[in-house]
Amino acid sequence: MIAGLWRWGVRLRAVVGLALAQLRRTPGRTVLTILAVALAVLSVTLLASLGVGVVETGEDGLENAGRDIWVSGDPSDPVAGDTENPIVGSHGISAEMTERDDVSSASPIAIHDVYVTTEDGDPERTSAVGVHETHDEFGFEAGSGFETELNYSSDNYSVADRPTEPTEQEIVLEPETAETLDVSVGDTVTVGASRETVDDHEFTVVGIASYYSQFLGTNVETVPLTDLQAVAGTTGTDRATFITASVEDDADTDAVATQLDEEYAAYDVRPSDEQVGAMVEERPLVLASGATLIGLALIGGVVLTVNLFALVAYQQRDELAALRAIGLSRWVLAGTIGVQGLLIGLVGGLVGLAATPLLTAALNYVAVTVVGFESLLKTPVEIYLVGFALALVVGTVVAVLTGWRAGRYARLDRFEA
Amino acid sequence: MAAGKPERNNGRLCRSFDRVETGPMSSHPLRRTTARDGQTSTDGEPRTAVRLTDVTHEYGSSGRHDRTVTALRDVSIDVRMGEIVGLEGPSGSGKSTILHAVSGLLVPTEGMIELLDTDLTDRSDRERTRLRRRHVGIVFQRFHLLPSLSARANVALPLVQAGVSRSTRRERAESLLEQVGLGDRIGHLPGELSGGERQRVAIARALVTDPDVIVADEPTGELDTATGADVLELLTDVGRERAMVVASHDESTLAVADRVVTLRDGRVVDDGG
Repeated sequence: MIAGLWRWGVRLRAVVGLALAQLRRTPGRTVLTILAVALAVLSVTLLASLGVGVVETGEDGLENAGRDIWVSGDPSDPVAGDTENPIVGSHGISAEMTERDDVSSASPIAIHDVYVTTEDGDPERTSAVGVHETHDEFGFEAGSGFETELNYSSDNYSVADRPTEPTEQEIVLEPETAETLDVSVGDTVTVGASRETVDDHEFTVVGIASYYSQFLGTNVETVPLTDLQAVAGTTGTDRATFITASVEDDADTDAVATQLDEEYAAYDVRPSDEQVGAMVEERPLVLASGATLIGLALIGGVVLTVNLFALVAYQQRDELAALRAIGLSRWVLAGTIGVQGLLIGLVGGLVGLAATPLLTAALNYVAVTVVGFESLLKTPVEIYLVGFALALVVGTVVAVLTGWRAGRYARLDRFEA
Repeated sequence: MAAGKPERNNGRLCRSFDRVETGPMSSHPLRRTTARDGQTSTDGEPRTAVRLTDVTHEYGSSGRHDRTVTALRDVSIDVRMGEIVGLEGPSGSGKSTILHAVSGLLVPTEGMIELLDTDLTDRSDRERTRLRRRHVGIVFQRFHLLPSLSARANVALPLVQAGVSRSTRRERAESLLEQVGLGDRIGHLPGELSGGERQRVAIARALVTDPDVIVADEPTGELDTATGADVLELLTDVGRERAMVVASHDESTLAVADRVVTLRDGRVVDDGG
């Protein structure tokens, strides 16, 4: 038993020594192999983080809003009229919901295409989101946001009481829009629902932020909801795209959502996690792109690594054949190549992981500069783990297997060409 | 198994294993100072070290290839302890295939290969590797030393599998290198040695497990005449108390053999007896 363990220890030590000697013999090749592993790891971490980023970009806005329940309409319902803002009487519905004991607050969100311009500029077509207030997640580049009454006229709701002209007249501009219009915080812009009406309503720029642009994928300005409805001419019907609600701490979100869904049968009421799924389902291309990127990253990384270590073993086939012929077992040969795989995988993996945040930051900078998406590449810790596992585990396993296979080539006719 | 096959003597092999793997090494492994257990048979004749009986081998007969090439046809050869047998014949006549078979690197399609009375053909790949390690030393035409290892480490390599400690491996390797005249080249890499010196290192490596059989494939093929003569002298010295099979095209190499077996198209046309 002890003699057996001793022999194993001697062989293991010799195998490590052999592997190190082989790596030292060709330092140039060793460095290139390490770089190749680092590249394989980077291909996994960067592509996968892009995939995660693509999927998460569509979800972030929803999750950051921190709302428990989402009410949406069916945009394909012709009765709804305005397909982007199918909820009619949204303030009224919000007020009714808020009256429930298990709902702490509810508020509508509207989205409209609008035109924005300055006194002497050309009208810019853009999108505007109408909300009752901005919040901390906006990440203002300049200025700040606005806050309006949560449910305008919620106490005595009446269409007649609601203003048909903008009252707050404050706007948060998307950075790119602000740059195009050459305006900054404190300047005045005009907003209208069409080119003809673009000069009708004056708004003061109170902040610069790209919060909603991130998940809608286009330039989005933010204005008070009642002002947006006034600009769009939907004050009368009080249209909105969503109504979001928060439940009381002790309430069951799913149960409240189910009750509200029954109460407002014309609309879809979902807990926020389901709403995220529903929105992503509506964007199959985004989901498919993200999944494809992650899949390609993994397959590409594994193929690269397998090829690499198959080559490492192939390059040493004559040495392996000689070792086999002089009586070394296939396990020792496989171990020699396997230890090389482990060492190369370890160093290459660490290099790849160390380069990941640097390249992610660089690519994110390019993404935000070119297309305006912030943090497009997301690198959760799982991505680092997968990348490192690829280098270490796949590298070692493939190296051992190719070393084991190479033992079969040990023939004298391989020696004498 | 073929009828009439000689009975294997595993007991004798096992004793021999113990000696080679864990027992004390001869202090002069180039020449054996004492006769070994089992080196002579009961009738006083030298023991048969290698016996090929009706060996036929076809390459490509494993079922993966449609075409087969017959490398050996009904070859029968005996090599006794202390005998040097040369193999001659043109390329493709089957010389290397016989060396393969004797080393256990190849199992012939038909026939029997006995190494010290043990039939190699019914042994597993692992068992054949073990038998090769303990009883066969191989000398290649192109040396096949590991370029990343020193002369000493190359010579010591076969002992790794046996689990011999590093210090003992070094000691044995240094002793052998001194005996082949390379005492001052112990730490040199193969790339720093001449062709003759490399072949001497390879011979030392073949001897490090104190094998009973030496297999040499064109051992002077890469060397000039003078260096080749030196290496042949060394090999002859080595082969006196072992069995040796030498394959070569070279007349001067074959001249050291006690008898020369001539091969044509995989058949023995002259057994040199």
